[in-house]
Amino acid sequence: MSETPFHRALRDSVQEVLEKMFFVEPVEEPPGEAGSPDGIMAVQLAFEGLPSGVLTLCVTSAAARQIAADFLGEDESGLSPAKVEEVVCELANMICGSVLSRVESSATFRLASPRILLAGERPIRREAAARRAVHAVAIGSGTLTASMETRDPVCPQAAESVS
Amino acid sequence: MAYRVLIVDDSPAMRSFVRRVMELSGFDLSVCFEAGDGGEALKVLRSEWVDAILTDINMPGMDGEELLRRLSADELLRAIPAIVISTDATTNRMDRLATLGARGYITKPFVPEDLRAVLERTLGDPNV
Repeated sequence: MSETPFHRALRDSVQEVLEKMFFVEPVEEPPGEAGSPDGIMAVQLAFEGLPSGVLTLCVTSAAARQIAADFLGEDESGLSPAKVEEVVCELANMICGSVLSRVESSATFRLASPRILLAGERPIRREAAARRAVHAVAIGSGTLTASMETRDPVCPQAAESVS
Repeated sequence: MAYRVLIVDDSPAMRSFVRRVMELSGFDLSVCFEAGDGGEALKVLRSEWVDAILTDINMPGMDGEELLRRLSADELLRAIPAIVISTDATTNRMDRLATLGARGYITKPFVPEDLRAVLERTLGDPNV
């Protein structure tokens, strides 16, 4: 199946944010199922505008610690869990804003505060989502999976079917 | 010339990152103040003069738009250039912030050179 503009925006945003702000060179890999089992940190972020929807990031503990250390310029061993969570929330915020700026460059949007999902809590999935995109990358010894879904079509060009 | 800069962002991690990137970019930073929202920023500005303000937009408490309004309404503070750092790169948002008095705009993600370039442009000194 060919890549939709929505998928492309998510992929490009994940790559660019990780490279520029986290000094990480991610390697693309096939997406697994999003969730929050042990060893995975999951963050969810709702957004309102044209379109509205939700972004979910699932990051393995190893990847989360590496991302936080690179972002803060600190050694992994000195990072508290709270600091790691804060950085992963900031990553979710940046990826979401980057995607929305790419797909709707003239419409204003508003991002809610990112929320860490508790162990066992399942990410919200909208069955009636108009668009859904998933992108996964390997980071060092861990992985990061970003999934984004919207209630409305993201832009006139992105009129392909849900994947 | 070394500059005094105020970073306004509700995320301590982001404030730390911006400060580090300013240093990495070669920007001549003498003092860096930090605030968690617009209200805290105004408190800092009551006692400290700064050469530039780098502010986020979406913050709990006083957000970046309200901070820009308060700065523009103040005879003294309006002279301090405010630069917005945001994930929102939509033209509507950038136009509105310019109207509110933002003198520069940096879209996340950015590299150290981007930050330095906007600071140079905004402070009007090519030898920053």
